[in-house]
Amino acid sequence: MKKYIIYIILSFLITTSVSARKTGCEGNCDNGFGKWTYTDKTTYEGNWVDTKKHGQGTETWPNGYIYEGEFKNSQWSGKGILTFPDGSTYKGEWTNGFMNGEGTFTWSDGRIIKGTWVNGKLKE
Amino acid sequence: MLQEIYLNKLKELPEHTRKFVGLVVIVIIVIFSFGILNAFFGEGEELVAKMKKEEERIAQEKKLSELISTLPSGILVPFEGNDNHRLSKEQYKAVCNATKIVSQRAVMGANLINFKAHKIYTNNGNKIDETFVKWDEENNKCFAGFVLSGSNVGINETITISGEALSFFNTGIDTRVYFIKNF
Repeated sequence: MKKYIIYIILSFLITTSVSARKTGCEGNCDNGFGKWTYTDKTTYEGNWVDTKKHGQGTETWPNGYIYEGEFKNSQWSGKGILTFPDGSTYKGEWTNGFMNGEGTFTWSDGRIIKGTWVNGKLKE
Repeated sequence: MLQEIYLNKLKELPEHTRKFVGLVVIVIIVIFSFGILNAFFGEGEELVAKMKKEEERIAQEKKLSELISTLPSGILVPFEGNDNHRLSKEQYKAVCNATKIVSQRAVMGANLINFKAHKIYTNNGNKIDETFVKWDEENNKCFAGFVLSGSNVGINETITISGEALSFFNTGIDTRVYFIKNF
């Protein structure tokens, strides 16, 4: 009986340590190139400066959003492509996590709209 | 005089018959008392209707959970074009009706298109007031959304964001809205 309890405790410890290893950093997430996996399975793989996402990188959300492009101070800033879970995309300029500047939005059905965006909205 | 005759007749009856008559009288009194109490305090037909509705709801939920248990765990979508499990029209409707939760990532994704919603959400500690998931019979589509309220640049505001629910996550226990297409 004691043996079984020890086995159960050991397997629990191994499982938790393996799952803990699946989150956190692989590579250099301070200054350099690294991949960070969040507890909700969101991942960021790219450049880090002073523990912040800075430079080129790819952020993937578990529900299918993928941003590939430039980051500044951990925010989507610069040029980048956001792919929505249904396949729609926005390719263009970003500031502080929002579509800001010149960009092209392509719906999943193929419709395309080009223009200047301000805080996620197309400027009339 | 007549009363006495009847009483004597009753006394002449065998013991077990008298006991039986007594029992019947008590039962009638109890039923009658409950009838009076129900007329004053009971809800009668209204209560029966409520119970029927509740029974129907439970049966419906059981049916939906049975259907969901047949679906694979993970992401479920009603459209073609990716590796996720594609829902049939019937399954899409059933999953929509069974889903009660809108995931935080779905809210964050919808906020990417709405600057004001994003501001209210982040300024108020990612607080979500209310979420909803509804099947639209007219359009044959599932709509989901959420309500955010709180301070935005010093002013208290409330905003409702909604869109087509195009992705769900099946945990095996429940299903959650994973993507709200609000553009």
